[in-house]
Amino acid sequence: MIAVAVLADFFYTFVFSKSTNRFKVEHIINTKSEKYDVVILGSSRANNHFNAQLFKARNLKAFNFGMSGSSLQESALMLQLMIENNFEIKNIIIEIDLNINSEKFSEGTRARFIPFLTSSKVVSNYYKPRLLEFNLLNQTPFYRYIKYDSQIGIREVFFIAINKPASSMQNLGFYPLNNVGKNLQYDLTGKYPKRNINYEFIKLLCFKNNINLIAVTTPICQNTKNKKYFDEIKYVYPEIHNCENFVKSDKYFSSCGHMNADGAKVFTNKIIDNFFK
Amino acid sequence: MFFNSLTFALFLPIIFLLYWFVFNKSKTTQNILLILASYYFYSCWDWRFLFLLIFSTLLDFVCAILMEKSNSSKKRKLCLWIAIIINLGFLGVFKYYDFFATSFSTLIKGFGFQANPALLSLILPVGISFYTFHGLSYVIDIYYKRIQPERNFVDYSLFVSYFPLLVAGPIERATHLLPQVKIRRNFDLEKAKAGIYQIIWGMVKKIVIADSCASYANEIFDNYQSMNSLSLFLGAIYFAFQIYGDFSGYSDIALGTSKLFGIDLLKNFNYPYFSRDIAEFWRRWHISLSSWFRDYLYIPLGGSKGGMLMKVRNTFIIFLVSGFWHGANWTFIVWGGLNAIYFLPLLLKNQNRNNMGEIVLNFDFKSCKIVLQIIFTFFLTCFAWVFFRSKSIYNAIDYIYIMFTNLNFKSQYFKNERYNFELLLLLFLFIWVEWRNRKKVEPISGKFSWIKIALAILVLLTLGVYSDYKEFIYFQF
Repeated sequence: MIAVAVLADFFYTFVFSKSTNRFKVEHIINTKSEKYDVVILGSSRANNHFNAQLFKARNLKAFNFGMSGSSLQESALMLQLMIENNFEIKNIIIEIDLNINSEKFSEGTRARFIPFLTSSKVVSNYYKPRLLEFNLLNQTPFYRYIKYDSQIGIREVFFIAINKPASSMQNLGFYPLNNVGKNLQYDLTGKYPKRNINYEFIKLLCFKNNINLIAVTTPICQNTKNKKYFDEIKYVYPEIHNCENFVKSDKYFSSCGHMNADGAKVFTNKIIDNFFK
Repeated sequence: MFFNSLTFALFLPIIFLLYWFVFNKSKTTQNILLILASYYFYSCWDWRFLFLLIFSTLLDFVCAILMEKSNSSKKRKLCLWIAIIINLGFLGVFKYYDFFATSFSTLIKGFGFQANPALLSLILPVGISFYTFHGLSYVIDIYYKRIQPERNFVDYSLFVSYFPLLVAGPIERATHLLPQVKIRRNFDLEKAKAGIYQIIWGMVKKIVIADSCASYANEIFDNYQSMNSLSLFLGAIYFAFQIYGDFSGYSDIALGTSKLFGIDLLKNFNYPYFSRDIAEFWRRWHISLSSWFRDYLYIPLGGSKGGMLMKVRNTFIIFLVSGFWHGANWTFIVWGGLNAIYFLPLLLKNQNRNNMGEIVLNFDFKSCKIVLQIIFTFFLTCFAWVFFRSKSIYNAIDYIYIMFTNLNFKSQYFKNERYNFELLLLLFLFIWVEWRNRKKVEPISGKFSWIKIALAILVLLTLGVYSDYKEFIYFQF
């Protein structure tokens, strides 16, 4: 059983080490020395809101590395991996708004890093103090692929092996939403922005590596209680730009927290106009 | 504690080592260890129900002895009925009370009366349907003087509560299991190896086949209104393999585990989806329950001794009761009724015992006919499973209506990021392995068993579903 587990672990890890066109994490780990004018980081509110093609139209090489469900913890790790792999990045736009309140992580996004637990020191060092089962995942052959089988199991290995592209890497990483939402509402009552250790780590990394960090909030639908939250972020981190009001009409929203493709177009153009003129 | 859990993976080797190296002095010490292990195993679900199990054991044990001691047939009958009423009473209260109360309330509402029935909302003690039938078969056999009552309470307790069969069968008979627990078991390496092979194959059926099918079947059945015909057809097929992999996988693990302790349990499945007609299907599916109903319900009702009308009546009774045994829902009763309807033409034409022999296929017309018969029987079974799986009869009928009227047979991408057809390759492979090994208990034994074990483990590790854990379906019954 151990021999089978060791062989299977070796095979899976090998396959993941060859993957570049399915998911953003694998792309970062398995490519080197990429050059970007703009890199976008954040959660789905970055992934769905920044149309990287519009940067390209203005001669800026950009890629949207935002991931649905990802927290600032994962954004920080992604940036660390980019630096480790000698990415040359001039600007980072990071979405900082609702995610600043959370030190939590996303299991789904975390799973994408797990195949590299043994092969990448950055990933290993990052998760050592953060993962309760670190030793078990790191040392028991194949256990990590069993634990996260729905994300990095046989289906994923098969798709990588047949070189099937995934939607997350298309449109330069931007994932457009196409519908217009109805009865949109959200409640931020009782929420107050707090200092976030992962954001501060990202700031430090950017400072050390001479990267211009542009931290922005992104729009939310009109019927949101306690919109003051977005202004209050500035009290905690004055350098964060409040861009929540760049898009106002609800016709630009797919759900209250996520703009549709039209909204993303308006928003991205305003961001480019404001920060890249 | 589930058979496919880490705790069971620790529990089993500990009990195995204690059984063969510490408690192997006599059959009494072996039995005491197995009883303690069984009670611990059972209490892992809910220790409070352990008292119910012990009470049920004690009741049947005492009633059986009183029946034997008594010379009066009235007293014997009284003891039998006390055991039956109390056993079925527990089952009725825990499993069926709420169903009857709500059904009665709905019925009288139909006549314009108001009723707010007091529901008990009790938790169903795990395995109650199995150990109740287990005990009932024992007291009925004593009543009809087929066997002598067991006077050793330790041996009898083990017969009732033996952990491999405690929560989901097979439903054992005193004539088969009691003689085995009454003698000291000696370690038999070949039997232990056979047990391990069966456990591994059972795990493959449960973790790879059943749980993979469950991801697709759940998605399809839970969102059937947005599915096309192809997805709905596949949903029924996936559920057919889910329930087969789940229950026969459980039975294989139970039988294999028992072999490790030197005890053989009754075979519960015999490749049912290779049946040529529905009568054969019921001789191959959940064999211990089907034979229980045959011996303790169908035959006492007159069986096939009376005229055709009696045969038909009795057939409907056992299928409807069998459906109801599975759960307190009309869907199970309809499922049972459908199977009775399938059975009816065979019964009327006296062809229900036509396909008793082995299936042999050659390159000839007869073999084509056999293959078509197998496919047709499987189709009938899948159709009935739709009722078994659906939440209500309305949902089942709606599911079938969309299945036959939508007529869109394109691939469909589900919300859980799966294509509807993705699992077919795995199922074809599984069917091929089962077909090639249909004369054996499992496909691992025989030549190159070590290679087959390695392959089975590889399949378990790579194709198994672990993060989306699913309980055994039959535990709820």
